[in-house]
Amino acid sequence: MKITDLQSVLPAFQGIKSRAESQWRELRDGGKPVIMVGAATCGRAAGALEVLRAIKDELKKQRLDCPVVEVGCMGHCYAEPIVTISKPGYPPICYGYVNPVIAERLISEFILGDDPCLEFVLGALEENDLVPSFSDFPRAKFEKKVILKNCGHIDPEQVEHYIANGGYAALVKALQMQPEEIIDEVKSSGLRGRGGAGFPTGQKWEICRNAGGRPKYIICNGDEGDPGAFMDRAILESDPHSVLEGMIIAGYAIGARYGYIYVRAEYPLAVHRARLALRQAKKLNLLGKNILGSDFSFDIKLFQGSGAFVCGEETALIASLEGEPGIPHYRPPYPATNGLYGKPTLINNVKTLSSIRYIIQKGAEWFASVGTERSKGTAVFALAGKVVNTGLVEVPMGTTLRQVIFDVGSGIQGGKRFKAVQIGGPSGGCLPESALDLPIDFDSLTDAGAMMGSGGMIVLDEDDCMVEIARYFLEFTQRESCGKCTFCRLGTKQMLEVLDEITKGKGKIEDLDMLSWLAEDIKAGSFCGLGKTAPNPVLSTMSYFRDEYEAHIKEGRCPALMCRELIAYYIIPEKCERSCDACVGTCTVEAISANKKRIKVIDQEKCVKCGTCLDACPPQYNAVVKLSPPSQVPASK
Amino acid sequence: MKTVSLTIDGKRVKAHEGEKVLWAALDNGIYVPNLCTLRDNSEPSAACRLCFVEVEGKKQPVPACTETIEQGMVVNTKGPGALRLARTALELLLASHPVDCAHCPSSGSCELQKIAAHLGVKLKTRRFRKLLRELLVDSSSPVFIYDPNKCVLCGRCVWVCRERLGIGVLGFAHRGFERVVTTFGDGPIAESKCRDCGECVVACPTGALTFKDKQGTVKSAHKERVETETTQ
Amino acid sequence: MVMTEEQARVRQQTKRILNRFGRRRGNLVPILQKVQGEIGYLPREAMLEIAEFLDMPEIDVYGVVTFYNQFRLNPPGKHSVRVCLGTACHMKGGYITLDAWKRRLGIDRGQTSPDREFDLDTVACVGCCVMAPVTVVDDKPQGKVAPTKVDGILLSFKLEKERQGEESR
Repeated sequence: MKITDLQSVLPAFQGIKSRAESQWRELRDGGKPVIMVGAATCGRAAGALEVLRAIKDELKKQRLDCPVVEVGCMGHCYAEPIVTISKPGYPPICYGYVNPVIAERLISEFILGDDPCLEFVLGALEENDLVPSFSDFPRAKFEKKVILKNCGHIDPEQVEHYIANGGYAALVKALQMQPEEIIDEVKSSGLRGRGGAGFPTGQKWEICRNAGGRPKYIICNGDEGDPGAFMDRAILESDPHSVLEGMIIAGYAIGARYGYIYVRAEYPLAVHRARLALRQAKKLNLLGKNILGSDFSFDIKLFQGSGAFVCGEETALIASLEGEPGIPHYRPPYPATNGLYGKPTLINNVKTLSSIRYIIQKGAEWFASVGTERSKGTAVFALAGKVVNTGLVEVPMGTTLRQVIFDVGSGIQGGKRFKAVQIGGPSGGCLPESALDLPIDFDSLTDAGAMMGSGGMIVLDEDDCMVEIARYFLEFTQRESCGKCTFCRLGTKQMLEVLDEITKGKGKIEDLDMLSWLAEDIKAGSFCGLGKTAPNPVLSTMSYFRDEYEAHIKEGRCPALMCRELIAYYIIPEKCERSCDACVGTCTVEAISANKKRIKVIDQEKCVKCGTCLDACPPQYNAVVKLSPPSQVPASK
Repeated sequence: MKTVSLTIDGKRVKAHEGEKVLWAALDNGIYVPNLCTLRDNSEPSAACRLCFVEVEGKKQPVPACTETIEQGMVVNTKGPGALRLARTALELLLASHPVDCAHCPSSGSCELQKIAAHLGVKLKTRRFRKLLRELLVDSSSPVFIYDPNKCVLCGRCVWVCRERLGIGVLGFAHRGFERVVTTFGDGPIAESKCRDCGECVVACPTGALTFKDKQGTVKSAHKERVETETTQ
Repeated sequence: MVMTEEQARVRQQTKRILNRFGRRRGNLVPILQKVQGEIGYLPREAMLEIAEFLDMPEIDVYGVVTFYNQFRLNPPGKHSVRVCLGTACHMKGGYITLDAWKRRLGIDRGQTSPDREFDLDTVACVGCCVMAPVTVVDDKPQGKVAPTKVDGILLSFKLEKERQGEESR
């Protein structure tokens, strides 16, 4: 392909850009306060749409005319719903845990009055003398936002916001480069696939470019099936054009004609926003025939994945696009040479593709200056579980797990003790305290028995049972196994049976040997990556937390007081307050009653061990406890 | 066509270029356990995981059905690593198979029995939990009986019905442990477009598909044809 | 076999949807999604119609439908309840929430209540891990759903229904 004439591309884009910039300026510097509401799925689950409605109603009531913008996810999911107000004369201030009542107060007191309501402030987005800014937070020292930079700061449904913030400039630049130059740039950036396996992206592009066969395809893998991972969802919901731009550049570099964005149907908002972004890009001729007047034509369609974890595997994903069940096929040949409909197909993860624009714009050297020797750039994690600051986190590769969990995430909720961190989802493992100083990169995590995975990071504390989490993941992979090969279909089922027995106190000590034996065989013998990695959660917990397995087997005791068959709820009579009936009222199965002395007693036969009574018992009494093994409950008199 | 020479279990053999190790071995009288392969199926399904062999220079055992032969290749079908995987795979299959050979019409011609004997594995395995499914036996066809509980999901019947005969009545449905060979809507075979040709029964390596005789009882009629099918 | 009115209606509706698609096998999943989106589930007649349209064995349509989590073979309830069983939800008691739903609705996962008011299912992860445990009720993710909140959600539906009943009277 010949280098596109500079003269043809630039003017076409210049017009688009200046219109977008003036629209953005009008919003930012229009003299009116701007209200931004985080309305990604996580915000919505916390009530962002109710907050949005309250804000609009209040503005109407007060006859105020200021723009209200729906933005994506800023990453501070723990504090959702989040509202950011930029009022002239003040720094942009971000408010957390907003509800409709607080929203109304923000309007009447800050927008109408001049009280910035400091009691609801999360932080300011810029340094100032009035309120502490995010950059003053200890976590700021460890974070580095590259691909999440726009998330939560622009309206994902307005392509102009993206363009005004530097969007599609990388595409314009790329269209003036030779495809080989682009591939060289991506190669020398050291970017590795963010889907989990960490294959060098530039090398994949090169193979695909050199492969014979037309047309070539590009697939953006957004089939984020790991339970506990939501990075791809957040990016597609908050900054969909960054993914599109990466895809278009990749399309130009490898000579592709068509692309698919593969998004899970369980992510309706991401589907909606990706689809809208495609329409916008098409309208501006950033997609379609002769993009920006160049020789390059490229179209992208959206495909909704129907819910099968195995479709994260490349050949299964392709099968599902072709209308087949998502069953992996034997490779080689690899999709890069024989993929969709037998044509060369490039499959890249959402985060991989959204990194591309920065590599093109700022150069490979800039990208490679962040990270470690063999893992370049930043890593995006979905931090969840028992950590204080749950949310989206982006840190340079090489940051340690401890820094992410304790500095960025502010440690464990409720002052509890850290027990383990689960990384890499069903293919990954649980790492204990002793592994916390490992630098996060593709290789060191694999060496420790976990896996970088696509970025789910679940923090577990002393109340989480390691046998149960292993059982949980195995149940997941077992349910999601396509069923094609013997090891995955039947082997993981056998392992699950054994773990089920152990969590019910029916395990035998020799089962542990059987488990590790079978796990090794499943790893070596399975057909695809799903089966080959399925035993990892079991193997890693067995190697780091063997004592917990033994407690379940030998003593019928769950040390974390989690496994339901091995615990009982008990009300300590000496602590129970006669006049209080909190637990009786909340028990969902009417298992609690008061005895003659008005002391509450749990009927162990009826109890379903949901724990509602424990939460209901007022902290000044603290009379409800969990006991393991259940035989510890004193016989009722 | 060019031929390639390689060594399997110490024996020098020749085979056509591009051939898979499995066929090179079988053609030269060296048995490697297998259930899911059919010679005329161009893409190996590699599902049963029984044909593991060791190849010199490779760290891990590989399935013989997907490994292409190379000049000078040294293959060992009896290496401890390969046997361990094959045995585990077979025991997993047997643990989910109603081992009732005494009453099974396929006893004697069943490939599970043959493979168990080859690998030195007892049919009643002790190592794993018995995990059976309780699926309905379909005797609606005038010609054969289908017992899905005995099915090992090798897919031979599906392939024959679809690719060789172009009928396409049988197929895979459901997922994971629930995966099953079935008809549309899990309906009785008699209500499907089945033409009662019985080719699927001939292809079946186990007792999942068996012929009915004239009296409507079950007859094991396909022994010889199975043999020629797999070793020709 | 005589076609019932219901079956004929499904055939017609499916045909209308199929008009918008090309006869490519690659369209199978989008077609199934569209049909389920409009009819609520995938009736037998719809699958047969699709197989004919794409000129593929009927069993293959059935194979795809039963492979993916999204597709259902039974009519849904008026309200859909999807309990998230992602890691974060599980560790924060998602299984306890699921039990509470099962207990209250008297059905198991994958089933529809006899009065056709609710259908209950699980979902692998909806990506709202920080609100764990999550239940998606009628496409709206609800955070921190403890057993008591299950009762609260059900009560609000009941009140809503009673209110509508009074209004219509």
